[in-house]
Amino acid sequence: MHLLPKFDFYEPDSMAEACKVLAETKTEGKIIAGGTDIMVNMKKGLLSPKYLVSLAKIPGVSSIEPITGGIVIGPNLIVAKLIEFDLMRKKFNLLSKAASVLGSPLIRNRATIGGNIVTARPAADLPPPLMAMGARVVLMRKGKERELPLDDFFVGPGQTKIKPTEILVKIIVDDPPPFTGWDYVKLMHRNALEIAIVAVAVRITLDSPDGIIKDARVILSAVAAKAIHAVSAEKILIGEKPTAKLFARAASLASTDCTPITDIRGGAEYRCAMVETLTNRALSAALLQIKSK
Amino acid sequence: MKKIITLKVNNKEYEVAVAPNRTLTQVLREDLNLPGTKCGCDMGDCGACTVILDDRPVNSCLVLAVQAHNREITTIEGVADGPNLHPIQQAFVEHGAVQCGFCTPGMVLSAKSLLEKNMDPTEHEIREALSGNLCRCTGYQKIVEAVKSASQTMKK
Ligand SMILES: Cc1cc2nc3c(=O)[nH]c(=O)nc-3n(C[C@H](O)[C@H](O)[C@H](O)COP(=O)(O)OP(=O)(O)OC[C@H]3O[C@@H](n4cnc5c(N)ncnc54)[C@H](O)[C@@H]3O)c2cc1C
Ligand code: FES
Ligand code: FES
Repeated sequence: MHLLPKFDFYEPDSMAEACKVLAETKTEGKIIAGGTDIMVNMKKGLLSPKYLVSLAKIPGVSSIEPITGGIVIGPNLIVAKLIEFDLMRKKFNLLSKAASVLGSPLIRNRATIGGNIVTARPAADLPPPLMAMGARVVLMRKGKERELPLDDFFVGPGQTKIKPTEILVKIIVDDPPPFTGWDYVKLMHRNALEIAIVAVAVRITLDSPDGIIKDARVILSAVAAKAIHAVSAEKILIGEKPTAKLFARAASLASTDCTPITDIRGGAEYRCAMVETLTNRALSAALLQIKSK
Repeated sequence: MKKIITLKVNNKEYEVAVAPNRTLTQVLREDLNLPGTKCGCDMGDCGACTVILDDRPVNSCLVLAVQAHNREITTIEGVADGPNLHPIQQAFVEHGAVQCGFCTPGMVLSAKSLLEKNMDPTEHEIREALSGNLCRCTGYQKIVEAVKSASQTMKK
Protein backbone atom coordinates (compact mmCIF):
# COMPACT_ATOMS: atom_id res chain seq x y z
CA MET A 1 0.00 0.00 0.00
CA HIS A 2 1.16 3.50 -0.77
CA LEU A 3 0.55 5.86 2.14
CA LEU A 4 -0.67 9.35 1.43
CA PRO A 5 1.32 12.18 3.03
CA LYS A 6 -0.47 13.99 5.85
CA PHE A 7 -2.78 16.92 5.15
CA ASP A 8 -5.81 18.69 6.57
CA PHE A 9 -9.11 18.35 4.74
CA TYR A 10 -11.68 21.10 4.25
CA GLU A 11 -15.13 20.86 2.76
CA PRO A 12 -16.61 24.39 2.63
CA ASP A 13 -20.25 24.78 1.65
CA SER A 14 -20.01 27.92 -0.49
CA MET A 15 -17.67 29.10 -3.22
CA ALA A 16 -16.92 32.26 -1.24
CA GLU A 17 -15.84 30.15 1.71
CA ALA A 18 -13.77 27.90 -0.59
CA CYS A 19 -11.95 30.96 -1.96
CA LYS A 20 -11.26 32.14 1.56
CA VAL A 21 -9.99 28.79 2.77
CA LEU A 22 -7.76 28.38 -0.27
CA ALA A 23 -6.39 31.93 0.09
CA GLU A 24 -5.56 31.27 3.73
CA THR A 25 -3.57 28.17 2.84
CA LYS A 26 -1.33 30.42 0.72
CA THR A 27 0.24 28.08 -1.82
CA GLU A 28 0.14 25.05 0.47
CA GLY A 29 -3.43 24.09 -0.36
CA LYS A 30 -4.93 22.30 -3.34
CA ILE A 31 -8.39 21.47 -4.55
CA ILE A 32 -9.35 17.81 -4.57
CA ALA A 33 -12.19 16.80 -6.91
CA GLY A 34 -12.34 13.12 -7.90
CA GLY A 35 -8.80 12.64 -6.67
CA THR A 36 -7.85 10.38 -9.58
CA ASP A 37 -4.88 12.56 -10.49
CA ILE A 38 -3.94 14.27 -7.28
CA MET A 39 -4.10 11.15 -5.10
CA VAL A 40 -1.95 9.21 -7.56
CA ASN A 41 0.61 12.04 -7.57
CA MET A 42 0.53 12.24 -3.78
CA LYS A 43 0.97 8.48 -3.43
CA LYS A 44 3.92 8.63 -5.79
CA GLY A 45 5.43 11.36 -3.62
CA LEU A 46 5.32 13.97 -6.39
CA LEU A 47 3.03 16.27 -4.40
CA SER A 48 2.39 16.86 -0.72
CA PRO A 49 -0.06 19.70 -0.20
CA LYS A 50 -0.64 20.61 3.46
CA TYR A 51 -4.34 21.17 2.85
CA LEU A 52 -6.89 19.64 0.51
CA VAL A 53 -10.09 21.53 -0.20
CA SER A 54 -13.11 19.69 -1.64
CA LEU A 55 -15.83 21.59 -3.46
CA ALA A 56 -18.26 18.65 -3.29
CA LYS A 57 -20.65 20.26 -0.78
CA ILE A 58 -21.11 23.49 -2.75
CA PRO A 59 -24.49 23.63 -4.49
CA GLY A 60 -24.34 23.49 -8.28
CA VAL A 61 -20.72 22.37 -8.69
CA SER A 62 -21.74 19.05 -10.20
CA SER A 63 -24.50 20.15 -12.52
CA ILE A 64 -25.05 20.89 -16.20
CA GLU A 65 -27.29 23.89 -16.78
CA PRO A 66 -28.68 24.99 -20.11
CA ILE A 67 -28.34 28.77 -20.66
CA THR A 68 -29.31 30.85 -23.68
CA GLY A 69 -27.07 29.70 -26.49
CA GLY A 70 -25.23 27.00 -24.61
CA ILE A 71 -24.58 25.16 -21.36
CA VAL A 72 -22.66 25.75 -18.16
CA ILE A 73 -20.92 22.73 -16.69
CA GLY A 74 -19.90 22.62 -13.03
CA PRO A 75 -16.25 21.67 -12.42
CA ASN A 76 -17.11 18.72 -10.17
CA LEU A 77 -19.33 16.98 -12.71
CA ILE A 78 -18.10 13.41 -13.06
CA VAL A 79 -17.02 12.20 -16.48
CA ALA A 80 -19.66 9.41 -16.47
CA LYS A 81 -22.42 12.03 -16.53
CA LEU A 82 -21.05 13.57 -19.72
CA ILE A 83 -22.00 10.25 -21.30
CA GLU A 84 -25.26 9.59 -19.43
CA PHE A 85 -27.03 12.95 -19.75
CA ASP A 86 -29.44 13.09 -22.66
CA LEU A 87 -28.58 16.69 -23.44
CA MET A 88 -24.90 15.82 -23.73
CA ARG A 89 -25.47 12.76 -25.91
CA LYS A 90 -27.82 14.62 -28.22
CA LYS A 91 -26.31 18.06 -28.59
CA PHE A 92 -22.73 17.82 -27.32
CA ASN A 93 -21.94 14.26 -28.34
CA LEU A 94 -18.34 15.19 -29.16
CA LEU A 95 -17.70 15.60 -25.44
CA SER A 96 -19.63 12.39 -24.65
CA LYS A 97 -17.52 10.47 -27.13
CA ALA A 98 -14.26 11.67 -25.58
CA ALA A 99 -15.63 11.03 -22.08
CA SER A 100 -16.49 7.46 -23.01
CA VAL A 101 -12.85 6.59 -23.72
CA LEU A 102 -11.40 8.19 -20.59
CA GLY A 103 -9.87 5.68 -18.18
CA SER A 104 -12.31 2.97 -17.13
CA PRO A 105 -15.92 2.92 -15.95
CA LEU A 106 -14.61 3.02 -12.37
CA ILE A 107 -12.39 6.05 -13.06
CA ARG A 108 -15.20 7.82 -14.93
CA ASN A 109 -17.41 7.52 -11.84
CA ARG A 110 -14.90 9.65 -9.87
CA ALA A 111 -12.88 11.71 -12.36
CA THR A 112 -14.30 15.21 -12.94
CA ILE A 113 -14.25 17.52 -15.92
CA GLY A 114 -12.61 20.26 -13.83
CA GLY A 115 -9.86 17.93 -12.67
CA ASN A 116 -9.23 16.79 -16.23
CA ILE A 117 -8.79 20.40 -17.36
CA VAL A 118 -6.68 21.74 -14.47
CA THR A 119 -4.42 18.70 -14.45
CA ALA A 120 -3.34 19.71 -17.96
CA ARG A 121 -1.88 16.41 -19.12
CA PRO A 122 -0.83 16.75 -22.75
CA ALA A 123 -2.88 13.64 -23.55
CA ALA A 124 -5.97 14.43 -21.44
CA ASP A 125 -9.19 13.43 -23.21
CA LEU A 126 -11.55 16.32 -22.52
CA PRO A 127 -9.54 19.42 -23.54
CA PRO A 128 -9.40 18.55 -27.28
CA PRO A 129 -13.20 18.31 -27.76
CA LEU A 130 -13.75 21.30 -25.49
CA MET A 131 -11.29 23.36 -27.53
CA ALA A 132 -12.92 22.21 -30.74
CA MET A 133 -16.23 23.45 -29.31
CA GLY A 134 -14.70 26.78 -28.33
CA ALA A 135 -15.25 26.26 -24.60
CA ARG A 136 -14.43 28.93 -22.03
CA VAL A 137 -13.47 28.53 -18.39
CA VAL A 138 -14.39 30.79 -15.51
CA LEU A 139 -11.85 31.12 -12.73
CA MET A 140 -12.49 32.63 -9.31
CA ARG A 141 -10.22 34.16 -6.70
CA LYS A 142 -11.22 36.21 -3.66
CA GLY A 143 -14.80 36.14 -4.95
CA LYS A 144 -13.83 37.73 -8.30
CA GLU A 145 -14.34 35.90 -11.58
CA ARG A 146 -12.41 36.03 -14.84
CA GLU A 147 -13.21 34.21 -18.06
CA LEU A 148 -10.67 32.67 -20.41
CA PRO A 149 -11.02 30.75 -23.67
CA LEU A 150 -9.74 27.22 -23.07
CA ASP A 151 -7.41 27.89 -26.00
CA ASP A 152 -5.47 30.35 -23.79
CA PHE A 153 -5.63 28.30 -20.60
CA PHE A 154 -2.94 25.67 -21.11
CA VAL A 155 0.76 26.50 -20.84
CA GLY A 156 2.52 23.13 -20.89
CA PRO A 157 2.47 19.69 -19.24
CA GLY A 158 0.74 20.20 -15.88
CA GLN A 159 0.90 23.96 -16.31
CA THR A 160 -1.96 26.37 -16.85
CA LYS A 161 -2.86 30.01 -16.34
CA ILE A 162 -4.70 29.20 -13.10
CA LYS A 163 -3.15 30.85 -10.03
CA PRO A 164 -2.44 28.68 -6.98
CA THR A 165 -5.35 30.14 -5.02
CA GLU A 166 -7.75 30.32 -7.95
CA ILE A 167 -10.67 27.94 -8.47
CA LEU A 168 -12.15 26.74 -11.76
CA VAL A 169 -15.84 27.40 -11.16
CA LYS A 170 -17.53 26.95 -14.55
CA ILE A 171 -16.98 25.59 -18.02
CA ILE A 172 -19.09 27.30 -20.68
CA VAL A 173 -19.85 25.61 -23.99
CA ASP A 174 -21.84 27.27 -26.77
CA ASP A 175 -24.49 25.40 -28.74
CA PRO A 176 -23.12 24.13 -32.05
CA PRO A 177 -24.12 26.39 -34.97
CA PRO A 178 -26.28 24.83 -37.72
CA PHE A 179 -24.51 22.55 -40.22
CA THR A 180 -21.83 21.57 -37.71
CA GLY A 181 -20.22 18.15 -37.53
CA TRP A 182 -17.44 16.88 -35.33
CA ASP A 183 -15.50 13.85 -34.19
CA TYR A 184 -12.94 12.71 -31.64
CA VAL A 185 -10.60 9.86 -32.46
CA LYS A 186 -8.24 8.43 -29.85
CA LEU A 187 -5.55 5.96 -30.75
CA MET A 188 -4.75 3.54 -27.91
CA HIS A 189 -2.94 0.24 -27.41
CA ARG A 190 -6.07 -1.19 -25.78
CA ASN A 191 -9.64 -0.05 -25.32
CA ALA A 192 -9.66 0.91 -21.64
CA LEU A 193 -7.32 2.34 -19.03
CA GLU A 194 -5.06 3.85 -21.61
CA ILE A 195 -3.96 7.36 -22.37
CA ALA A 196 -3.86 8.42 -25.98
CA ILE A 197 -0.88 7.72 -28.23
CA VAL A 198 -2.41 10.39 -30.44
CA ALA A 199 -5.88 11.92 -30.37
CA VAL A 200 -7.59 14.32 -32.74
CA ALA A 201 -10.75 16.38 -32.29
CA VAL A 202 -12.22 18.19 -35.28
CA ARG A 203 -15.20 20.39 -35.83
CA ILE A 204 -16.37 21.84 -39.10
CA THR A 205 -19.27 24.20 -39.74
CA LEU A 206 -20.67 24.73 -43.24
CA ASP A 207 -22.50 27.88 -44.36
CA SER A 208 -25.32 25.73 -45.81
CA PRO A 209 -25.96 21.98 -46.12
CA ASP A 210 -24.04 21.80 -49.41
CA GLY A 211 -21.99 24.92 -48.91
CA ILE A 212 -18.44 25.84 -48.03
CA ILE A 213 -16.63 25.43 -44.72
CA LYS A 214 -17.27 28.52 -42.62
CA ASP A 215 -15.39 27.45 -39.52
CA ALA A 216 -12.92 24.64 -38.89
CA ARG A 217 -11.09 23.51 -35.79
CA VAL A 218 -8.57 20.73 -35.72
CA ILE A 219 -7.14 19.96 -32.28
CA LEU A 220 -4.22 17.59 -31.86
CA SER A 221 -3.53 15.87 -28.56
CA ALA A 222 -0.53 13.97 -27.15
CA VAL A 223 1.74 15.34 -29.87
CA ALA A 224 2.92 18.57 -28.20
CA ALA A 225 3.36 19.96 -24.68
CA LYS A 226 -0.37 20.69 -24.64
CA ALA A 227 -3.37 20.19 -26.91
CA ILE A 228 -2.81 22.41 -29.96
CA HIS A 229 -4.64 23.74 -32.96
CA ALA A 230 -3.38 22.40 -36.29
CA VAL A 231 -3.31 25.96 -37.56
CA SER A 232 -2.28 25.28 -41.15
CA ALA A 233 -4.92 22.59 -41.53
CA GLU A 234 -7.61 24.91 -40.19
CA LYS A 235 -6.50 27.69 -42.53
CA ILE A 236 -6.72 25.60 -45.66
CA LEU A 237 -10.15 24.20 -44.77
CA ILE A 238 -11.92 27.51 -44.20
CA GLY A 239 -13.65 28.97 -47.25
CA GLU A 240 -13.45 25.74 -49.27
CA LYS A 241 -15.97 23.13 -50.29
CA PRO A 242 -15.49 19.96 -48.23
CA THR A 243 -14.04 17.25 -50.46
CA ALA A 244 -11.96 14.13 -49.86
CA LYS A 245 -9.06 15.82 -51.61
CA LEU A 246 -9.24 18.88 -49.36
CA PHE A 247 -9.42 16.68 -46.25
CA ALA A 248 -6.36 14.72 -47.37
CA ARG A 249 -4.38 17.94 -47.83
CA ALA A 250 -5.54 19.32 -44.49
CA ALA A 251 -4.61 16.06 -42.78
CA SER A 252 -1.17 16.09 -44.31
CA LEU A 253 -0.66 19.69 -43.15
CA ALA A 254 -1.85 18.77 -39.64
CA SER A 255 1.01 16.30 -39.37
CA THR A 256 3.46 19.16 -39.92
CA ASP A 257 1.81 21.24 -37.19
CA CYS A 258 2.73 18.88 -34.35
CA THR A 259 5.95 18.34 -32.39
CA PRO A 260 5.58 14.93 -30.75
CA ILE A 261 8.14 13.21 -28.58
CA THR A 262 9.19 9.58 -28.75
CA ASP A 263 8.20 7.67 -25.65
CA ILE A 264 7.00 4.28 -24.51
CA ARG A 265 3.62 4.77 -26.23
CA GLY A 266 4.94 5.58 -29.66
CA GLY A 267 7.70 7.12 -31.74
CA ALA A 268 7.56 10.72 -32.95
CA GLU A 269 7.48 9.69 -36.60
CA TYR A 270 4.68 7.20 -35.99
CA ARG A 271 2.71 9.82 -34.10
CA CYS A 272 3.00 12.30 -36.99
CA ALA A 273 1.82 9.67 -39.42
CA MET A 274 -1.10 8.87 -37.15
CA VAL A 275 -2.04 12.56 -36.88
CA GLU A 276 -2.51 12.55 -40.64
CA THR A 277 -4.61 9.37 -40.65
CA LEU A 278 -6.78 10.33 -37.70
CA THR A 279 -7.34 13.90 -38.91
CA ASN A 280 -8.49 12.62 -42.27
CA ARG A 281 -10.86 10.12 -40.66
CA ALA A 282 -12.24 12.65 -38.20
CA LEU A 283 -12.89 15.21 -40.94
CA SER A 284 -14.75 12.66 -43.06
CA ALA A 285 -16.82 11.57 -40.05
CA ALA A 286 -17.64 15.19 -39.23
CA LEU A 287 -18.86 15.83 -42.78
CA LEU A 288 -20.92 12.64 -42.77
CA GLN A 289 -22.56 13.83 -39.58
CA ILE A 290 -23.64 17.10 -41.21
CA LYS A 291 -24.94 15.29 -44.28
CA SER A 292 -26.92 12.75 -42.28
CA LYS A 293 -28.74 15.33 -40.13
CA MET B 1 -6.34 16.14 12.69
CA LYS B 2 -8.72 13.18 12.78
CA LYS B 3 -12.31 13.62 11.66
CA ILE B 4 -15.32 11.75 12.92
CA ILE B 5 -17.24 10.38 9.96
CA THR B 6 -20.23 8.12 9.39
CA LEU B 7 -19.93 5.38 6.81
CA LYS B 8 -23.00 3.43 5.77
CA VAL B 9 -21.53 0.12 4.72
CA ASN B 10 -23.73 -2.77 3.62
CA ASN B 11 -26.73 -1.14 5.33
CA LYS B 12 -24.92 -0.75 8.62
CA GLU B 13 -23.77 2.58 10.06
CA TYR B 14 -20.28 2.96 11.41
CA GLU B 15 -18.92 6.01 13.17
CA VAL B 16 -15.16 6.20 12.86
CA ALA B 17 -12.41 8.69 13.62
CA VAL B 18 -10.10 8.84 10.61
CA ALA B 19 -7.07 10.86 9.58
CA PRO B 20 -7.86 12.66 6.29
CA ASN B 21 -5.01 10.93 4.50
CA ARG B 22 -6.54 7.46 4.82
CA THR B 23 -8.24 5.95 1.80
CA LEU B 24 -11.59 4.23 1.84
CA THR B 25 -9.78 0.93 1.08
CA GLN B 26 -7.66 1.33 4.20
CA VAL B 27 -10.56 2.24 6.48
CA LEU B 28 -12.76 -0.60 5.20
CA ARG B 29 -10.03 -3.18 5.62
CA GLU B 30 -8.24 -1.95 8.72
CA ASP B 31 -10.84 -0.12 10.80
CA LEU B 32 -14.08 -1.86 9.86
CA ASN B 33 -12.52 -5.29 9.49
CA LEU B 34 -13.97 -5.82 6.01
CA PRO B 35 -10.98 -7.31 4.16
CA GLY B 36 -13.05 -8.48 1.17
CA THR B 37 -12.10 -5.25 -0.58
CA LYS B 38 -8.63 -5.94 -1.97
CA CYS B 39 -5.75 -3.58 -2.50
CA GLY B 40 -3.77 -4.36 -5.65
CA CYS B 41 -2.07 -1.45 -7.36
CA ASP B 42 -3.43 1.29 -5.05
CA MET B 43 -3.33 3.63 -8.08
CA GLY B 44 -6.67 3.16 -9.85
CA ASP B 45 -5.37 0.71 -12.45
CA CYS B 46 -6.57 -2.73 -11.37
CA GLY B 47 -10.03 -2.46 -9.81
CA ALA B 48 -9.31 -4.97 -6.99
CA CYS B 49 -10.49 -2.27 -4.54
CA THR B 50 -13.86 -1.73 -6.25
CA VAL B 51 -16.77 -0.81 -3.98
CA ILE B 52 -20.17 0.61 -4.88
CA LEU B 53 -20.46 4.19 -3.61
CA ASP B 54 -23.98 5.63 -3.90
CA ASP B 55 -24.91 3.28 -6.77
CA ARG B 56 -21.67 3.70 -8.71
CA PRO B 57 -18.71 1.32 -8.71
CA VAL B 58 -15.47 3.18 -7.91
CA ASN B 59 -11.82 2.49 -7.08
CA SER B 60 -11.85 2.83 -3.28
CA CYS B 61 -8.05 3.31 -3.29
CA LEU B 62 -8.66 6.70 -4.93
CA VAL B 63 -11.38 7.81 -2.51
CA LEU B 64 -10.51 9.48 0.76
CA ALA B 65 -12.52 7.97 3.60
CA VAL B 66 -13.58 11.53 4.55
CA GLN B 67 -15.07 11.93 1.06
CA ALA B 68 -17.36 8.97 1.75
CA HIS B 69 -18.88 10.57 4.86
CA ASN B 70 -22.62 9.87 5.07
CA ARG B 71 -22.64 7.93 1.81
CA GLU B 72 -23.90 4.42 1.05
CA ILE B 73 -21.19 1.87 0.40
CA THR B 74 -21.55 -1.74 -0.73
CA THR B 75 -18.55 -4.02 -0.37
CA ILE B 76 -18.32 -7.67 -1.38
CA GLU B 77 -19.31 -8.62 2.20
CA GLY B 78 -22.73 -7.08 1.55
CA VAL B 79 -23.53 -8.97 -1.63
CA ALA B 80 -24.56 -12.43 -0.39
CA ASP B 81 -27.82 -12.91 1.49
CA GLY B 82 -26.59 -14.62 4.66
CA PRO B 83 -25.35 -18.08 3.65
CA ASN B 84 -26.94 -17.79 0.19
CA LEU B 85 -24.64 -16.54 -2.53
CA HIS B 86 -25.85 -13.77 -4.82
CA PRO B 87 -26.72 -15.12 -8.30
CA ILE B 88 -23.59 -13.41 -9.67
CA GLN B 89 -21.39 -15.09 -7.07
CA GLN B 90 -23.12 -18.42 -7.71
CA ALA B 91 -22.52 -18.06 -11.46
CA PHE B 92 -18.84 -17.22 -10.86
CA VAL B 93 -18.45 -20.47 -8.89
CA GLU B 94 -20.35 -22.56 -11.43
CA HIS B 95 -18.51 -21.18 -14.46
CA GLY B 96 -15.02 -21.44 -12.97
CA ALA B 97 -14.68 -17.66 -13.12
CA VAL B 98 -12.65 -17.63 -9.90
CA GLN B 99 -9.05 -18.75 -9.89
CA CYS B 100 -6.84 -16.99 -7.35
CA GLY B 101 -9.84 -14.84 -6.42
CA PHE B 102 -8.01 -11.55 -5.98
CA CYS B 103 -9.99 -9.75 -8.68
CA THR B 104 -13.28 -11.46 -7.82
CA PRO B 105 -14.77 -9.00 -5.30
CA GLY B 106 -14.22 -6.13 -7.74
CA MET B 107 -15.51 -8.12 -10.70
CA VAL B 108 -18.66 -9.12 -8.83
CA LEU B 109 -19.36 -5.54 -7.73
CA SER B 110 -18.81 -4.09 -11.21
CA ALA B 111 -21.07 -6.82 -12.61
CA LYS B 112 -23.71 -6.12 -9.95
CA SER B 113 -23.77 -2.43 -10.85
CA LEU B 114 -24.13 -3.31 -14.51
CA LEU B 115 -26.98 -5.77 -13.98
CA GLU B 116 -28.86 -3.33 -11.78
CA LYS B 117 -28.98 -0.87 -14.69
CA ASN B 118 -29.08 -3.28 -17.58
CA MET B 119 -30.78 -6.62 -17.01
CA ASP B 120 -29.86 -8.12 -20.36
CA PRO B 121 -26.41 -6.88 -21.36
CA THR B 122 -24.63 -7.97 -24.52
CA GLU B 123 -21.18 -9.51 -24.32
CA HIS B 124 -19.75 -6.17 -25.41
CA GLU B 125 -21.59 -4.32 -22.66
CA ILE B 126 -20.32 -6.81 -20.09
CA ARG B 127 -16.71 -6.46 -21.27
CA GLU B 128 -17.05 -2.69 -21.27
CA ALA B 129 -18.51 -2.62 -17.74
CA LEU B 130 -15.68 -4.83 -16.45
CA SER B 131 -12.94 -2.98 -18.30
CA GLY B 132 -11.67 -1.28 -15.13
CA ASN B 133 -11.16 -4.64 -13.42
CA LEU B 134 -8.05 -6.59 -14.33
CA CYS B 135 -7.71 -10.36 -13.93
CA ARG B 136 -4.32 -12.04 -14.20
CA CYS B 137 -5.68 -15.59 -14.09
CA THR B 138 -8.84 -16.37 -16.01
CA GLY B 139 -8.42 -14.70 -19.37
CA TYR B 140 -11.82 -13.07 -18.75
CA GLN B 141 -13.86 -15.46 -20.89
CA LYS B 142 -15.32 -17.38 -17.96
CA ILE B 143 -16.02 -14.17 -16.09
CA VAL B 144 -17.98 -12.80 -19.03
CA GLU B 145 -19.88 -16.09 -19.34
CA ALA B 146 -20.68 -16.05 -15.62
CA VAL B 147 -22.08 -12.52 -15.80
CA LYS B 148 -24.16 -13.42 -18.85
CA SER B 149 -25.52 -16.49 -17.11
CA ALA B 150 -26.26 -14.52 -13.91
CA SER B 151 -28.21 -12.00 -15.95
CA GLN B 152 -30.43 -14.82 -17.24
CA THR B 153 -30.96 -16.25 -13.74
CA MET B 154 -31.75 -12.83 -12.31
CA LYS B 155 -34.34 -12.10 -14.98
CA LYS B 156 -36.37 -15.12 -13.90
C1 LIG C 1 -6.15 4.52 -13.85
C2 LIG C 1 -6.31 5.91 -14.43
C3 LIG C 1 -6.61 6.07 -15.77
C4 LIG C 1 -6.77 7.35 -16.32
N1 LIG C 1 -7.07 7.45 -17.66
C5 LIG C 1 -7.23 8.68 -18.20
C6 LIG C 1 -7.57 8.80 -19.59
O1 LIG C 1 -7.74 7.83 -20.32
N2 LIG C 1 -7.72 10.05 -20.09
C7 LIG C 1 -7.57 11.16 -19.31
O2 LIG C 1 -7.73 12.27 -19.84
N3 LIG C 1 -7.23 11.08 -18.01
C8 LIG C 1 -7.07 9.86 -17.43
N4 LIG C 1 -6.73 9.76 -16.11
C9 LIG C 1 -6.48 10.95 -15.33
C10 LIG C 1 -7.64 11.47 -14.48
O3 LIG C 1 -8.57 10.46 -14.20
C11 LIG C 1 -8.37 12.63 -15.16
O4 LIG C 1 -7.50 13.66 -15.48
C12 LIG C 1 -9.50 13.18 -14.27
O5 LIG C 1 -10.43 13.87 -15.08
C13 LIG C 1 -9.02 14.11 -13.18
O6 LIG C 1 -10.15 14.57 -12.47
P1 LIG C 1 -10.25 14.45 -10.87
O7 LIG C 1 -11.56 15.00 -10.50
O8 LIG C 1 -9.97 13.08 -10.43
O9 LIG C 1 -9.08 15.43 -10.45
P2 LIG C 1 -8.26 15.57 -9.10
O10 LIG C 1 -7.23 14.52 -9.04
O11 LIG C 1 -9.17 15.73 -7.96
O12 LIG C 1 -7.57 16.98 -9.42
C14 LIG C 1 -6.63 17.11 -10.48
C15 LIG C 1 -5.99 18.49 -10.40
O13 LIG C 1 -6.93 19.50 -10.70
C16 LIG C 1 -7.04 20.42 -9.64
N5 LIG C 1 -8.45 20.81 -9.58
C17 LIG C 1 -9.53 19.97 -9.64
N6 LIG C 1 -10.66 20.68 -9.65
C18 LIG C 1 -10.31 21.99 -9.59
C19 LIG C 1 -11.04 23.21 -9.58
N7 LIG C 1 -12.38 23.23 -9.64
N8 LIG C 1 -10.36 24.37 -9.52
C20 LIG C 1 -9.02 24.37 -9.47
N9 LIG C 1 -8.27 23.25 -9.49
C21 LIG C 1 -8.91 22.07 -9.54
C22 LIG C 1 -6.52 19.69 -8.42
O14 LIG C 1 -6.01 20.60 -7.47
C23 LIG C 1 -5.43 18.84 -9.05
O15 LIG C 1 -4.28 19.56 -9.21
C24 LIG C 1 -6.59 8.48 -15.51
C25 LIG C 1 -6.30 8.33 -14.15
C26 LIG C 1 -6.16 7.05 -13.61
C27 LIG C 1 -5.85 6.91 -12.15
S1 FES D 1 -6.09 -1.18 -5.77
FE1 FES D 1 -7.45 0.35 -6.38
S2 FES D 1 -7.39 0.15 -8.51
FE2 FES D 1 -5.83 -1.20 -7.92
S1 FES E 1 -8.84 -14.83 -10.56
FE1 FES E 1 -6.82 -14.26 -10.12
S2 FES E 1 -6.80 -12.20 -10.74
FE2 FES E 1 -8.70 -12.85 -11.42
